[in-house]
Amino acid sequence: MQDIAGVLVNTVISAALYATMAYGLAVIYGVMRIINLAHAGLMMLGAYATFALFTRFALDPFLSLLVVGPLFYLFGVVLYRLVVRRLPRSGATPSMESLLLLFGVWLVLQNFAYAVWGGDTQSILTAYTMKSVAVFGVRVGVPSLFVFLGSIVSLVFLNVVLKATFLGRAIRAVTQNRDAALLAGVDADRISATAFGLGTAFAGVAGGMLSSLYAFTPDFGRSFLLKAFCIIVLGGMESVTGVAAGAFVLAFLENALGAWTTLPTSLEDAASFTLLFVALVVFPQGLPGLAARLRTALR
Amino acid sequence: MKRLPLAAAAVLAAFTLAAPLFLERGTLNDVWSLAFAVILASAWNILGGFAGQVSLGYSAFLGIGAYTTVLLSLAGVNPFWTLAPGAVVAALFSVLIGLPAFRLRGPYFTIATIGVGEAVRVVASSVSFTGGSSGLRMPAGSFDFTLNYEAMAALAVATVAISAAVTRSAFGHALAAIKQDIDAAEALGVGSTRFKLGAHALSAALVALAGSLYAINFQYIAPSSVFDFRLSLAIVLAPIVGGVGTVAGPVLGAVVFSTLQIKLLSVPALRDSYLFIYGGLLILVMLYEPKGLVGLARRLLARVRRPPVLPPEAARAA
Repeated sequence: MQDIAGVLVNTVISAALYATMAYGLAVIYGVMRIINLAHAGLMMLGAYATFALFTRFALDPFLSLLVVGPLFYLFGVVLYRLVVRRLPRSGATPSMESLLLLFGVWLVLQNFAYAVWGGDTQSILTAYTMKSVAVFGVRVGVPSLFVFLGSIVSLVFLNVVLKATFLGRAIRAVTQNRDAALLAGVDADRISATAFGLGTAFAGVAGGMLSSLYAFTPDFGRSFLLKAFCIIVLGGMESVTGVAAGAFVLAFLENALGAWTTLPTSLEDAASFTLLFVALVVFPQGLPGLAARLRTALR
Repeated sequence: MKRLPLAAAAVLAAFTLAAPLFLERGTLNDVWSLAFAVILASAWNILGGFAGQVSLGYSAFLGIGAYTTVLLSLAGVNPFWTLAPGAVVAALFSVLIGLPAFRLRGPYFTIATIGVGEAVRVVASSVSFTGGSSGLRMPAGSFDFTLNYEAMAALAVATVAISAAVTRSAFGHALAAIKQDIDAAEALGVGSTRFKLGAHALSAALVALAGSLYAINFQYIAPSSVFDFRLSLAIVLAPIVGGVGTVAGPVLGAVVFSTLQIKLLSVPALRDSYLFIYGGLLILVMLYEPKGLVGLARRLLARVRRPPVLPPEAARAA
């Protein structure tokens, strides 16, 4: 049995990480109507990149995010230019081709990791990995706290980019209405490349942070991909506040299940898959859609 | 001209069924794997190809078939009599999943099926009656490989025959209509959910049958074997590489796929690059020929048969 404070603190911490993880998917989906199945592979690669910087140059896993982020941005842009751009453009709903193509990219990334790092389980052990501090009377691992801070920094960064720069306005314009953005003179192809880069960078950063919390193999990331899907489906696919709300709901569900039920931890993952399924089916418009429907129903 | 493919298929089917008479055990094992791949690919294609509903959760049905067979055999049932129950359970499960999931369209359906597949795997590896992650062993008893081979080969022939029959039936036309334009199909009075559920159940049952035979052949199942990533990949990749939505495509894809698998496993240097090859194949197919090998063959044939450029008058006349 754990008290409410414990569940809430842990919920907020995981929600920040989940939101970082999900924004990468949401940006790409918003601009290109592509469901990036390679997101899992990119998170895995982010974990390994952080691991490589840590073992090779003894770079702190959280400092290395400053390297991993830009590196993955470039990688994303290259991936877009080389592969993704060649696809026929998705209409209002994502095309099956893009989904399967990125599934292929995921497989290639996995194989790359197997070839470079082998299939053994890896983890990052720093001086503070096992340390913990009290937050509102709840013991929290130091890495989790750093992950929380890293997530907040990334989310603030994304928000500033989206809200305060021309690029961000262009991204939001293409997300809202691609044709209207084109008419207004936005270079949609360049914006797509940027969005794909941003999404990839977020996947890398999220993966880098995950590597401080979990052990990983080249097969890493599948359950986190499903969690990210679950969040963007809950969040209504393209709304920024929606994603945050979705991340919070999923994190709360997981922490509450862990604290107040006797469900084995291995089954906790099944909870998010079930939530994903229910969310997709019951309210495909996500939480914002649900809220709107409730408002009309109450009126 | 129409008779030719049919005759070729009949010869191929007869050859496969009679193979134990003249093939040695090692080669027969390879043909067994090929038949297994043909069943998975052709069955998946009924929903994924004909109806255009791409599911990435088919390992769930394979697992249901395999686990039903082993659990019933452990309860004392003759393995032969466990095949039908496995297929029925899988079909029921497919309807249970399909009822909500078919409200989703295109990629949203696909994502939901990833969730289903993962959930089934997680549940199978954590509950106790499936033996958890250590899996289950078939009860000791006599096991006849030739019999298992014949069953698998017959099932493969039957699956291909069923999918050929589907393309000629009203059921198949309804699925094709759903694939092309679901709203138009609905407007014409095609109850899309009913047909999608039917296709899902049919293919789930066939995959479960293959799963049962798989369990009997290996005498041991575990989440890491029946829910193996490579296996769920094979289910989807073979029909896509071969050509979705055709009868021959999944068979062709399965042949390419199993040959590749056998070759890859025998060359140590390539064993570690199967994901690279499969992923690369998927990327190439999606970028250059989404209709797969069958589409490629048709394009080449058309180029050979037809003059490359029509003079303008002829083009206008046509």
